[in-house]
Amino acid sequence: MTQVLGEFIKALREADVRISPSEVIDAEAVLGLVGYEDRMLLAHGLSQSLAKSDADKEAFWGVFDRFFAFAPFTPPEPANSAAGDCDAGEQGPDEQADGDDEGAGVTGMASSGGSGQGSGKATGKGEGKPGDKASSGQDAGMLGPSGESLTMAEELAQLLEAGDSASLALRLAEAAQQAGLSDIRFFTQRGMYQWRILQLMGSEELGRWIDQAEGGSNAAAAARATRLRGLRAGLHEQVREYVETQMQLFAGNEGRRLREDMLASQRIGLIERSDMQIMQGLVRKMAKRLVSLHSRRRTRARRGTLDARRTIRANIQFEGVPFHTIWKRTKVDRPKVMLICDVSGSVAQVSRFLLLFLHSLHEVLPEVRSFAFSSNLGEVTELFDNYPPDVAMGRTLQRFGGSTDYGHAFRDFEQLALDDVDRRTTVIILGDARNNNGDPRAEILQTIQQRAKRVLFLNPEHRSRWGSGDSVMPIYATYCNRAISCGSLKDLERVVTDLLRTAA
Amino acid sequence: MTTAIHQNAPAGDQARDGLLAANDAAHTPSESVANIHRLLGAQGYISSEAIATALFIAQSLEKPMLVEGPPGVGKTELAKAVSAITGKPLIRLQCYEGLDEAKALYEWKYSKQLLYTQVLKDKLADVLSGAEGLKASVARLHEFDDTFFSEEFLEPRPLLKALWEPEGAVLLIDEIDKADDEFEAFLLELLSDYQISIPELGTIKARQKPIVFLTSNNTRDLSDALKRRCLHLHIPFPDQALERAIIRSRVPDAEEKLRTQLVAFVQSLREMDLKKVPAISETIDWARTLVLLHARELDRTLVENTLNVLLKFQDDIERVGEKLNDLVGKARSNLR
Repeated sequence: MTQVLGEFIKALREADVRISPSEVIDAEAVLGLVGYEDRMLLAHGLSQSLAKSDADKEAFWGVFDRFFAFAPFTPPEPANSAAGDCDAGEQGPDEQADGDDEGAGVTGMASSGGSGQGSGKATGKGEGKPGDKASSGQDAGMLGPSGESLTMAEELAQLLEAGDSASLALRLAEAAQQAGLSDIRFFTQRGMYQWRILQLMGSEELGRWIDQAEGGSNAAAAARATRLRGLRAGLHEQVREYVETQMQLFAGNEGRRLREDMLASQRIGLIERSDMQIMQGLVRKMAKRLVSLHSRRRTRARRGTLDARRTIRANIQFEGVPFHTIWKRTKVDRPKVMLICDVSGSVAQVSRFLLLFLHSLHEVLPEVRSFAFSSNLGEVTELFDNYPPDVAMGRTLQRFGGSTDYGHAFRDFEQLALDDVDRRTTVIILGDARNNNGDPRAEILQTIQQRAKRVLFLNPEHRSRWGSGDSVMPIYATYCNRAISCGSLKDLERVVTDLLRTAA
Repeated sequence: MTTAIHQNAPAGDQARDGLLAANDAAHTPSESVANIHRLLGAQGYISSEAIATALFIAQSLEKPMLVEGPPGVGKTELAKAVSAITGKPLIRLQCYEGLDEAKALYEWKYSKQLLYTQVLKDKLADVLSGAEGLKASVARLHEFDDTFFSEEFLEPRPLLKALWEPEGAVLLIDEIDKADDEFEAFLLELLSDYQISIPELGTIKARQKPIVFLTSNNTRDLSDALKRRCLHLHIPFPDQALERAIIRSRVPDAEEKLRTQLVAFVQSLREMDLKKVPAISETIDWARTLVLLHARELDRTLVENTLNVLLKFQDDIERVGEKLNDLVGKARSNLR
């Protein structure tokens, strides 16, 4: 496999596109077929063999544009450092434009990650302008009779002085490849890679020479050294930017993933406000995963029960000999969910995510009704269906915030929705069961349980604290099919998965 | 390097299909793609670059092609156009919930088998005459066993038909997302190896590899296993220029001015929040309607009266009706 393709696929995987080995083989065949000449052709070909859903396609185009971008290597202004040298000043921009043009034309498809093929072509092109090189060599020879043959540092110095952006970009790409830049994972590694790339390009050696020459007696060499110092600083800047973009490409998601993982298992009450946005994204992602997992089993052939009527009808043509047997298929019931959320104080955050979660599951849970309470209880289904979560939660808190009274809330629920609770309904109650020493009215909960398929009580507090102080959890727990301590997003996900699984 | 590989592909089996065979003159991949674009155009199918590229790659790699996109953007038409270009018969399998092997792949001709058994019953004595003991009789009967489960008694359904077609075929598996998961799984063997296994007969290989298209409206996610075996082409709604070209090709009677206006109008509808936005097929229908009414340009009453061709929900019609003046005005001014 060519290295470019390998690195491109690495970058794609980093962007959450799932690519299997067989698809890699396909992509390779496509590459062999269309080659690097036509950018759009290559893009379409690869997208068709590698990205196979809308989300993947979008990610693909983003990565393709960044990966196969020909980063024009903007050389530091020669005018700054070489103020007196009008010859170089004149030549600079010319050369630069020239280099850019050719670079775009010939290495148009050479990846910024560096490639065998790309480098082959570009080196060939490098030979095309020996005149320039020679002249700049002469120049250097005149200014700095260092006597060295073309070492890496000397080569680099010449390229810098000539402002040959295409060759510089190429050298940078090659060095990055040697340094294994595509293995970068964390932003703390940036400095290390940057240093390694510069070393491979010969910058370190050049730096030593500059130090030496500046302190030396040769005035011409010292002048050249000063000029090179400026150019070299520019190069460092370029390399830093390059490493930065490459890290975006190869590890842009790594940090995010780590963070999300941490947030998912942290207790929701402890999460800072600034992370709420990420949390919402996370909930949506979890919901999407659950939808794709559970939307696939809407009907299930129940092998074992013969559909006699249809079997006979189907077999009339065979004199009633049952060649075809037809089995009953049952549509799997989607659960009706009623969600009763405590939105007072500490529980509000957890409620928010559970509400968001269940309302993101429209496709697999078509019937979710939600109720919010502190003391008064009211239905908030429409709010969460029609408004973004922040707005919906804000209005809910505005309307139902206050001190908690479970007894009152259960009484409201009894009047409002008890008639709609049937044996297909799952009732989920989310709250800390801290009742401010009021009447718990557990008998209402009992009625609900008798009517409903099941009652789940999710309590964000740890199990050991149930029953302490004003908590009436132990009383409620007796009337629930399950009482679960549920503090983090992962806990929530587990509960919802469970809900979907037992329903299907 | 690329040219060499490319030349190998069609040289291997020259007569395989019209799409690449007609490419003998063309050498670079870009030229081949342009050629496919031209061939499709000749069939009245105006393709985007992505579509032509996908066809080129699918043909060269002999891979099935999974085409996704909103309804009415020409997924099925693409298969028809390819069938017309290559001259291969189009075999179409419409998927639906409950589609099973017996309807998609093959079925034994039970009644024929039954009939033959009846006939055989009378001849049973003759067949078994001279057979000593049960063992010998069973051995005799065994010979008939194979006769009963032979191709003679096999009723080929679309998939098997496509494999049996001596000159190859264009197989269109339409709306695969409507079929059950099990059916998807059962397609895998066909898609990766162009063969199917029938327990009684063994493995049946394609006489000539068919060109396979699968289409999906994305009502549910297809399994990764299926996607892995296919090239994936997403056809979005066309941009204005492409849609104009399509209308020019499909409804040549529509005048330039009308064409520009109606395409602009439809494009602006797609930006609205509608239950079902009009697709290309609706644009074509509408253009035909307008031509029938001898329209030369859009005006409010004309659009109002023909809107039901374009929009399929009363809610949508009402919603668009409210803004009709604006939309028509914009479409008309688009001309200048």
